[in-house]
Amino acid sequence: MAQTEPSSIKAPDPLASNSQRLLTIGGILLVASGMLFGDIFAIFVLHPNNARIGEAMFAASQLIPAGDADGILAHFMAIGGYLENRGTKVDTHSHIIHMGYIALLLAMLQPWVALSDTTKRRTAWMFIIASILLPISIFSIHYIGLAYSPFEHIGWASISADACGAALAVAVFIQLWGLWKGARNNSDSPPTPKYLGDNNAAARVLLAGGLLLLVSGFLYGAAYAAWSQFGGGTSEVAILKAIVTQAAASNQDLLGAAFGDFGNYQMYRAINVAVHTHINEMGILLLLMSFVQSFVNYSNVVRNRWAKLAVLGGFGLPIGILLEINFGIVGSILADSFGFLMIVSLMAMLFGLLRHTGATDAQKGASA
Amino acid sequence: MNTAKRILILTGIALIACTMAFGVGYALFDEHQTLEGMGMYMAGGFMEAASGNMGAAFESLDAYGALSQEYRNEVHSHGHWGMLSLILIILGLMFDRVALSEKNGVMLASLLAFSTAAFPLGVLLQIGPAAGLGEILSVVGSVGMIIGLLVAVFGILKNTPNQTD
Repeated sequence: MAQTEPSSIKAPDPLASNSQRLLTIGGILLVASGMLFGDIFAIFVLHPNNARIGEAMFAASQLIPAGDADGILAHFMAIGGYLENRGTKVDTHSHIIHMGYIALLLAMLQPWVALSDTTKRRTAWMFIIASILLPISIFSIHYIGLAYSPFEHIGWASISADACGAALAVAVFIQLWGLWKGARNNSDSPPTPKYLGDNNAAARVLLAGGLLLLVSGFLYGAAYAAWSQFGGGTSEVAILKAIVTQAAASNQDLLGAAFGDFGNYQMYRAINVAVHTHINEMGILLLLMSFVQSFVNYSNVVRNRWAKLAVLGGFGLPIGILLEINFGIVGSILADSFGFLMIVSLMAMLFGLLRHTGATDAQKGASA
Repeated sequence: MNTAKRILILTGIALIACTMAFGVGYALFDEHQTLEGMGMYMAGGFMEAASGNMGAAFESLDAYGALSQEYRNEVHSHGHWGMLSLILIILGLMFDRVALSEKNGVMLASLLAFSTAAFPLGVLLQIGPAAGLGEILSVVGSVGMIIGLLVAVFGILKNTPNQTD
């Protein structure tokens, strides 16, 4: 079995400098933990929470004929809590993954960032620490609420999340400044980093899979937007009006049908948005991982196997979500399984990258 | 870094920084209030129906629908700016693999950069007085993005791979 040679220490690789190592390893860990959080969230929070929201709304509608406004308000307060619980979990999941993607991209861009090594390393630390604290803060919003907050609408967890978001924006602006400085100075332009010209079999598999997913995701999003704009059937407001009308008339059969429509409407919207988002996110992830394949220090066979499994996970996850429309829990199990496959593939690639850093560090030590 | 790469990467990073700043400002000054308003209007619809005033109930639900649409547009703008910017940077990094002349490469990069900025901006503008302009920008931006991505994919596939293993 041919073993991948450790890259030359002088050849720019995505793990050559401290800032690149930090951003690459941190980025992969962020993406993997975000996906794992998504898997857990889908199983233990998403589905039970949706059921609770439906039950609370139905209970509120049952109080309409009796004119019990206080009871209705109490149910809607509960619904607000369920929605906040769900919304903050979704935001935690998406922000961890997105910050991981940005970290990986910043790692690739480091050779063109015309700043001192110290500034680059500090900015990388700032980005990674804020990327870890941001989702923790978002997650805490539901639990901390407005306790001891000096503001009317936002609590300490939200303030912390906003501060982390601002720190991330500052870190990205510093990188932009460095890139701008580098772009203005053409004469000193560094050679194209080795990972960008990479064309080994594993990189090609990931590149082809990523591009195919991205094109599909764009077309899916455009088709869904056109469908919901021009032919999306009954609107959410029309269904809600039917619910209050049938509830006021105490017509339980039609009320049940209206709630069925409401459930279907919410399900179609949530699943279509999730499919669109996950196709694109898996596409981006595959493309990002294609850049580092030369430095995943395994035999070609093993490296190709992990790349193919990652592509399988990337396609399987959104397909599983789509199947939830017709097959319910079976689709969810498929989506979670493919998501888990992607996490395992990512961790295997990270392990290969760590082997590469070990090999290059040993080479450096031997030649010192 | 050639001109096309520079356009893609610098626009991508600038848009990511801007959408992060937008996200912070939105979360601080608008999101919580919007979510509370949505909850109030929906609950108001049920409560007005309970008091027998169906006209007021429908008005409240219409207000919920409008605010809900506004919320979706704001969140989608933030999300799409971030994700499309990532795609812009990725395409910038791999632009050497796109088999296009320098002039066509710059044109493609400009189309992608414009579309990435315009599509989410169009979605955002749809909630204000410039809704018409917003619709035009979002349609032009999304079509530009799809065409640009297809051309980039075609250019990458046209490029004969260097078989290293």
